[in-house]
Order: sequence, then structure tokens, then C-alpha cells
Amino acid sequence: MDKMTPPERFQAVLMGEKPDRVPVVPFILGFCTKIVGMPLGDFYADGNKSFEAQFMSMRLYGYEQTPMYGYASCGPWEFGGKVGFPYGEGHSAPYVIEHPVNELVDIDKLEVPDSDKPVGGFVEAQKLCDRCVEMGMPGIFQGGSVFTAAAVVAETTKFLKWMKTEPKSAHALLDKVSQMFINQVEYFVNRYGADKCVVFDGGPVEANTVISPQKFEEFAFPYMMKVHKKIREFDIPVTLMHPCADQNLNIPYYIKMRESLNWKGIYAWIFGPETPLKTQIEKFGTHDIIGGNVDPPSIQTRTYQEVVQLCKENIEQGIENPRGFILCPGCEFPPLAEPIKPMAFIDAARQFGVYK
Amino acid sequence: MKILGVSMVSKEEILEGLAKAVIDGDEVKSEELAKKSLEIGIDPYESLMNGCNKGMAKVSDLYELKEMFVPEILLSADAMYAAIDILKPHLKVDASAKKPAKVVIGVAQGDIHDIGKNLVKMMLEVAGFIMIDVGKDVPVDTFVKKTIEEDADIVAISALMTTSMMYMEPVIKKLKENFVKAKVVVGGAPINNDFANKIGADGYGKDAVEAVKVSKKLVGV
Repeated sequence: MDKMTPPERFQAVLMGEKPDRVPVVPFILGFCTKIVGMPLGDFYADGNKSFEAQFMSMRLYGYEQTPMYGYASCGPWEFGGKVGFPYGEGHSAPYVIEHPVNELVDIDKLEVPDSDKPVGGFVEAQKLCDRCVEMGMPGIFQGGSVFTAAAVVAETTKFLKWMKTEPKSAHALLDKVSQMFINQVEYFVNRYGADKCVVFDGGPVEANTVISPQKFEEFAFPYMMKVHKKIREFDIPVTLMHPCADQNLNIPYYIKMRESLNWKGIYAWIFGPETPLKTQIEKFGTHDIIGGNVDPPSIQTRTYQEVVQLCKENIEQGIENPRGFILCPGCEFPPLAEPIKPMAFIDAARQFGVYK
Repeated sequence: MKILGVSMVSKEEILEGLAKAVIDGDEVKSEELAKKSLEIGIDPYESLMNGCNKGMAKVSDLYELKEMFVPEILLSADAMYAAIDILKPHLKVDASAKKPAKVVIGVAQGDIHDIGKNLVKMMLEVAGFIMIDVGKDVPVDTFVKKTIEEDADIVAISALMTTSMMYMEPVIKKLKENFVKAKVVVGGAPINNDFANKIGADGYGKDAVEAVKVSKKLVGV
């Protein structure tokens, strides 16, 4: 049986000590609305409701993840565009209704929100983080990805083409988006103190199914560096990194970022299931926490027993990571998965993730 | 060689140039060469097949080899369509030719991610299919209605989310309920072969190139 409480277990991993067993961070967001009987749209439209649903789910299952706020289409709302909330059938997260940038001239007109107040989704993130910090949990909010955000601030297809045809404009947009993230991170640091903040950085558009590693180097890397340089200056201790989907060809740049910034905090990496744990441990394991990457669609479509087996395989590959391991899916926990599925993660951690 | 001050280029040079303009995503050049091909009397069908489509086939190969990525392919598509717009009005209709297969394509209900769908659409078009694009966040009934209306041979459904992928199976069920014989091809990030089999899809394409191969196989091309 468990010998530590969830906070003790997670703290042990953060401190570089061995916990009683592998912690479970199931990357649960929209899924927990099923637990509390809340419309999925409310979860993203109201930071307080998001907190309540996540807090209840956390208490029910006893996993180590604390509430957080963010979504892949972050950016347009913050720059004055419109997002829709996922109230419709088949929806899973907020989506863009109106991009703030549709033509090149719109980039010049974009005003970067400053650091004196939260904007767009950060208003809801602040509601959630206030509740978390008040209860002694970290405030986890979004600080990237700059590239994915720029690709939705602008109409996505146009942005992707501008990288080739109008690179100066693409860079101008990325620069403004990166400054928006820096300003919002600064606001949260000023409000709670850096030690209470955890920044979440990750997005799918820089995946190698979309862009080449050369384009990543030219357009994503410099702005990721810019934001992380500030995160380091702010002295934020933990940064959650989620290079979403297949980013195997981008890994050298993530290593380069860590090295060139002489990173002193901890990165916790949750790569997509396309990146073997062995590779992650080899590249980051000495310094950083590695998150498992169980295939999310399988969590939804396979049986409880099969998911336990997938978790077991993941644990066996990751448990000996020098700087610690947490069991996670390779992306958000599927909102439509059966309620038994988070238990599959916890049961697997208890059966196969115990440290001797 | 110059006649009346105009550079004379060979048919091969024009067709190769067209293919290269498509690969390079050079819309200006592809338009220019499409016009030139008409001026010097090249059969527009030949320009289409041995110029534009040849270039796009190379783009598919490079994409499969991870030597070309989405931004470059989008520009190649623009270059190809720019040339097609010029050539199309001049194509001769061959009434005896075999009717091309028709595909209804769209993104599953609840999903607004359509870049993958657009790539598949473009590559199937290049492969000779007639494409009926029903867009994104497409209700189940719209897929079925459009397939019946168009008497389509294939229904291609894309999904990027674990929530929207659950709307693929209802399309397949409703098609069967309505005795529609069209084959169903599915694809997108959360989809794999097992899932495609489980929901009764006839084919699965892990990417745009494979979607074309599977679709061709399903209609016997």
C-alpha cells in the first residue's frame, strides 16, 4: 500500500528523492467534467469551475496532479480575437472563432498586453491559480508554446506559408506572441511569487508532422529561448514541458535550450507517445523529471486491463530515470474515456511502480 | 533559339519547368509556364499530367521521406492550382473516358482541424479523384446525405481529437443503414489501424500519401 500522501510523493520527486512509488500525473483536464457533471465548456470558460472539477477529481482518484489551466488554442483571445468554448458535440477544447491576424498588416496593429493585468484565458487561469495557491498548491498556468500560439493568432495556413514567403512578418508575430507570454508570466510571478508558480509550455503545431526541424530552429527555437530565459531570470523552479505529438527531430533544440540557458530549475518532460522513453532518459534524464507517455487514444479505446498493461510497460521503461519519473499519458487524458481509466494508471503505479 | 524576339523553349522544358515550379511552390512561375504551354500548343492534359501532377507526385514522395513539410506543401498546392486554373478551361472532355471515382471528404463532428484533411484532398485530387469537400466539424448526417447525393465511391473522414474520432463510427453505421455502398477511409493523429478495423472502416491512412494509396486500392485504380 501507499506509504506517502500525494503531496509527499510529488514533493519527493521534485526534491530528487525516491518516493514510495511512481507518482501519477494523468494530464486530466476536460475529463474531470464527467466526474462532477459539468458541461465541458464551463471548464474552460470559468477558472473557478475548472478548479472545482479538477480538485474534486484529484480528491476522488488520489493522483498527484494539481489543478492547472490552459489549452492548445491559447493566443487569439489574449490578442483580442474570439474563441469558442467546447459546448458542442465532439468538442474537446476551446477553438478559434476569429483570428486577430488574417493579413500581414494585422501583425503591425497587434498590441501586446502588458504585465499589469491578466488577459483572455489568463483571467480564468488566475481564478484557478488563486484557489490553488490559497490551498498550498502551485499555480500552474500556460507560458507557451509561442509557435503554436502564433499559428492560431494568425490564420494557421497563412502563418505556415508566411514562414516561407514573408519570414520577417512571421518573426514579428512570433516576437509579439513571445512578449505576451513573458508579460503574463511576470504578472503571475508578481502575484504569487516565483516559488509558487509552475509554467506549462507545449503545443502541437511545431510537431514534425507539420514543420521541419530547420523551420523549428528558425521560427520556434529563438522565441522558446526568449521566454525560457525570462523564466530562468524569474527563478521559477519547475517548468512543465509538453512537446506535443511527434517532435523527435526537434529534440536537439530542446537540449540546446537547456544547455545554453544553463538551466538551474527542473524541467518535467511529457513528450508524445512517438518519443521513446529511452531517448528521453538518455537526453534529459540526468537533470530532469521524465513523464511517461501512454498513448491517449488507447486509454479511450482499450479495456481497463489493456491500459494497466500499457502503464506497466511505461513504468518499466521509466522508473529508473536518474532524476525521477512520473506516470502520464503522452497528451491530455481523453475527455470521453471511462471513469475507470485513471484507476488503471493508479493501479499500475501501485502494482508495478513501487521503489524498493 | 529565338523567333520574333521570343525565346523558344521545348515542350520538355516547359513540362519540367511546371513540375519544378510546383515542387518549389513558385506560383508565379507555374502560372507563367501554364500560359506558355498553351501558347506553344501543348495539350493541356499533358501539361496537367506531366507537369503539375508529376511535380505534386514528387512532393508526395518528399513528404513521405520527411524532406518536405506542411508549409512547403501548402505553397506547392498553390502553385499547382494556379496552373490548373489556367489549363482547365482548355481541357478537352473525353466522353468515352472512364468516370473518375468520387470522394466525399471532411473533418469529423466537433473538430475544426482541417490542415490534414486539406492535404489529403489535394493529393487525392492530383491522383485523379473528384473531391467533394464538406468542410470541418461535419455532422454525421451531412456525411451520409452528401455521399448519397453525390453517389460517392469513398467517404474520407479525418479527426485530430479523441472526442471527434468517436463520430466516425456513427457515419459508417448510418451509411450501412441507408444501404450506401461507398467505402470509408479514416485518418488523423489519434487514429490507428486497430481503431479503423474496430469501427468497420474499409481503410486507414496514417498520412496523406497512404490515404491516396488506400483509396486507389479501394476503387481498383
